[in-house]
Amino acid sequence: MAREYGTENWIDWCPGCGNFGIVSSIYRAFSEMELDPEKTVLVSGIGCSGKMPHFVDVSGVHTLHGRAIPFATGIKMSDPDLEVIVNGGDGDLLGIGAGHFVALGRRNLDILVMMHNNRVYGLTKGQASPTLPKDTQTKALTSPNLQSAVPPLSLALSTGYTFVARSFAMDSDHLKEKIKEGMEHEGAAFLDVLQHCVTYNDIHTADFFRDRIVKSEEPEKERSEAFKKIREFRGSEEILTDVLYQDTEEPTFSERLEKKLTGFEERPPAVQNIEEDGKPILDQKEFLSRFDDLIFD
Amino acid sequence: MVEKIDMILGGAQGAGLETTTQILSSAFASSGLGVLSDREYYSNIKGRHSYVHAEVSSGTVPRSLNSKIDLLGCMDAETLFTHFLDLKEESYLVYDVSISEKKQEKIKSFEDPLRERLEKKFDELGLEGTIDSIVRFLEEEKNVTIIDLDFPSILAELQDQYEISSSQASRYVSSILIGAVSGLMDLETKSVKQGVNDKFEDKQKIAEQNIFLIENVVKQVKEKVGTPLKMDDPSLEKDKKMMVNGNQVTGMGKIVAGLRFQSYYPITPAADESFFLEENAGESEEENILVFQTEDEIAAITSCIGAALTGTRSATATSGPGFALMVEGLGWAGMNEVPIVITYYQRGGPSTGLPTRGSQEDLTNALFSSHGDFPRIVLASGDHGEAFLDAVESFNLAEKYQTPVIHLLDKYLANFTKTTDIPDLERIKIERGKKAEDTDIKRFADGPISPRISLGDEVIWNTGSEHSPKGHVMEDPENRIKMHEKRMDKLELADKNMEMPERVKYYGPEDPEYLLVGWGSVKGPALDSLESLDERIGYLHLRVFSPFPSEEVLSYLEKADKIISLEHSYSVKISRVIRMETGISIDNEVVKFTGRPMYRDEFIEALKNIIEAGSQREVLRHGP
Repeated sequence: MAREYGTENWIDWCPGCGNFGIVSSIYRAFSEMELDPEKTVLVSGIGCSGKMPHFVDVSGVHTLHGRAIPFATGIKMSDPDLEVIVNGGDGDLLGIGAGHFVALGRRNLDILVMMHNNRVYGLTKGQASPTLPKDTQTKALTSPNLQSAVPPLSLALSTGYTFVARSFAMDSDHLKEKIKEGMEHEGAAFLDVLQHCVTYNDIHTADFFRDRIVKSEEPEKERSEAFKKIREFRGSEEILTDVLYQDTEEPTFSERLEKKLTGFEERPPAVQNIEEDGKPILDQKEFLSRFDDLIFD
Repeated sequence: MVEKIDMILGGAQGAGLETTTQILSSAFASSGLGVLSDREYYSNIKGRHSYVHAEVSSGTVPRSLNSKIDLLGCMDAETLFTHFLDLKEESYLVYDVSISEKKQEKIKSFEDPLRERLEKKFDELGLEGTIDSIVRFLEEEKNVTIIDLDFPSILAELQDQYEISSSQASRYVSSILIGAVSGLMDLETKSVKQGVNDKFEDKQKIAEQNIFLIENVVKQVKEKVGTPLKMDDPSLEKDKKMMVNGNQVTGMGKIVAGLRFQSYYPITPAADESFFLEENAGESEEENILVFQTEDEIAAITSCIGAALTGTRSATATSGPGFALMVEGLGWAGMNEVPIVITYYQRGGPSTGLPTRGSQEDLTNALFSSHGDFPRIVLASGDHGEAFLDAVESFNLAEKYQTPVIHLLDKYLANFTKTTDIPDLERIKIERGKKAEDTDIKRFADGPISPRISLGDEVIWNTGSEHSPKGHVMEDPENRIKMHEKRMDKLELADKNMEMPERVKYYGPEDPEYLLVGWGSVKGPALDSLESLDERIGYLHLRVFSPFPSEEVLSYLEKADKIISLEHSYSVKISRVIRMETGISIDNEVVKFTGRPMYRDEFIEALKNIIEAGSQREVLRHGP
C-alpha cells in the first residue's frame, strides 16, 4: 500500500503554478519508492520552490536563500542513511547559491538537486533569474534582460554531477520517473525541471515548453558526448529533456570519505556515541596518549 | 642563575623559526620550566620578518610578556635592526658576525615608517646605521654581552662533516639559534636532543646533522661567555604538563566534548584548529571526527547546522571576515533552535585589517550580529585553561538550551604557546539536554526548551520563517508572540541556571580602590599588574557575555572607586556593553589596537599614568 505523502497545509502557490505538477510528481515518486518519511529529508531554499517541504510529509528543512545545498550537505555527510533531496529555484541554485551548486558537483555527494526552472524570481514579483535568456523581456521587466543565461546542464556536467537530467513540471509521468532515477542514482544528481510561472513569465508558458520538448535517447556515459548533444540543440527551437548523462563509476563523497576516515560509512558522525554516563568517551589515559607529542614529564 | 628571562628569536618567515621554537619549547618543558611564547608574523608565506617572543621562568608559568628582553637571537640583519632597542641593560645578543657591514637601507622588506623611525633613532644615537654600529652601541652603552658567531663558518663545518651542499647547509641557520640559546641557558643536552629527534622523527639524518651543529654552537657559546642565562632549579610542580597553543587546546576541548563534525573555510588564525582536529580525529568506531573544508564560510556554517540537525555535535571555526559571512546562518540556527558552536578567533579589523595580528574588536559583533532577536550564548576565554573548559562547555550549553553558542578567542591566545596543566577529565561533564522520548511530538512544542528531536528520529520540519510548534510557516500574531517568547525565554533560563562557576571571576583585594575590567587575552597582563603596583587594585574578568551576568558585575563595579577597562580595540566595546547592561559608565581605559600583544611593562606604565597622573585613556603601542 503506497503512502500518502501530502500534509495538512494549504498549498499557497498561485492557481495553475507549475509547482503543483512538481509536488504531485514528488508524491507519486515517493509513493512508488515507499520512502520512509522519517528517513527522508526534503531541503529547500527560499522562494516559491522553498515552500515545498511544508507540503510533503517527510522531514523538511526550509533553509536560507541559496543555501539548501550546504545544509543538505551537512545532513547527508553526518547521516548518510538519510535520503536527501534539494528543491531550489533557478535563482536560488544558480544565482545566490551558484558556488554551492558547483561544490556539490565536485564532491559527488549522494543528493538529488531538483531545480525549479521558471526563469523568473516569482515571490519577489518577477525579476529576471539566471536562466532567463538575454534580450528577453518578461512582463514584470521594465526592459529586456541584459545578462546572458547560465546553461544549467552544461554547468552541472562541467562541475562533476554524475547524473544530469531535465524534465518538465507538467509532464507528470516523466518527471516522476526522473525523480526516482535521480534518487536511485548514487552520487550528485541534478534534475532541471522546466516550469512555467503563470503570474510573471508570459513568454515561457506551459505551452511554450510543451511545444518544444524532445526526449533524449540513452544517457551518455562520456561527458564529452553529453556536451556534444547539448551543442546540437544550441540555437534550436527544441529543448532536450530526459537523462542526458549518467556515470555510475565515480566514487561518491561517502566512498571518498571512507578512504580518509576508515569506518565512516558504517559509523558516520550521527551514530557515534560521545558520552558514557555523562562523561566523555575519551578518558584520561587516552587523552595522554592521544596528545603525547604535546605533553611533557 | 636567573629566575625568568624574556627572549626574542627572529628571522625571515619560512626560514625555520617555527621548528626552532618547537624544539626549544619542548626542551624548556622537559627541563620543567614554565613558558609563554608568542609568534608574530606578517600575512606572508616566505621572506618577511617574523619572530618568537618567549618568556621562560623557573618559578611560575608566565602569564604575560615583557617588552624589554634579556636575549635577542638574530637569524638575519632585519631582526637585529627591528629589535635591538628592546634589549635591556646587561642583556645578551646573538648575531652573525659576517653581516656586520650590512646597512638598514639594504633591508628591502622594511615598511617605510619603520625605516624612518630607525633612521631617526640612528641620528639620535649617532649610529652609522650598520649592524656593526648597533652592536658597538649595545656593547658600550648598554653593557650588552655580544655573542658574535660566524654563521658561514659554522655552516661550512656542517657542510664538510656531512658532505652536503651549501644550499642544504643554509637551511640550518635557525638551528644556530637553538645552539646559542641552549648554551647560554645551559639546557640539558638530553632535552635538546630529544626535542630535535621528536621533530625529525622520520628523518634521522637531518636530526643528526642538527644535533652536530647545535653541539658545535653550544661549545662555542660556552667558550665565549659561559652559561650566564642558566635558570634556577625549577620550582613548578613536577606533574606532567602540556605545551599547547590556543588553537590546539581549544581543539582538545572540542574532542573531549564529543565534537563529531567540524566545518571550516581556511582563514587565519582559525584554520590551525581544524588542522589539529584533522590530525587528532580519532579512529575508533565511536570517535571519527569529520573535518570538512567547505567552499566558503556560508557553507561552513550551514553544513554545520545541517550536521547538528541530525543530532551530531557540530562546530565551525573562523575569524571576523568569515564570521561576517556566517551571520545569516547564525540567525537560522537561532530561529530553529539548533545547537551549534562557532569558535571565533578575533583578529585585527575592519575588513582584512591585520589578518595575522590579534584583536578584541569583535565583542559586539559576536553579541549583536544578525537581524531580529534570538537567544545566543557568548563565552570568551582568557587563557589556555579557560579555552579548554569553554570549548567543552560551549557544546553542553548549545545542546541544553538548543541555541547557538559563540566561543570568542583571539589571535593572541591562538598563537601563544603556554605551559598548561593537563585537564582532569574526571571533572568534565557531557550534558546533552532533554531528548524527546514520545513519538509524534512537535519539534517546537512546550517551551522554552522543547525536547530534542533529530532528523532521522521522527518526521520534523524546520524553517527560517516564523513557524508553528510543528515547524510549518505561520505568520499568526498570537503564534508569533508565543514562539518568540519561547525562544527568548531560554536566555533567562540560562541566566538562572548556568552552572559555569566563573561567568565572572574577580582577582584581588576585597575592597579595591582601582578595578580593572577586562576579558580574553588581557587577563595575563592584568593579573601580573596586580602584583606590581602598590595600590589596592583588583581585576574583574568576564567570561560570559550572553546571558550577561549584570548583577554580579554590578556588585563588583560598585565596590571600586575607579574603574579601568582593558581591551585590544579602539572603541572599548566592553565599556559599552557594561554600560548597556548595568548603567555604569567607565571613564578610564587602557587599549591597544596595533594587533600586537599587551606587554606587562608597558601595561603597568599605562596604569600608573591613569592612577598617578590622571590620564583617562592610554593607548599602548609597543611591538614592531
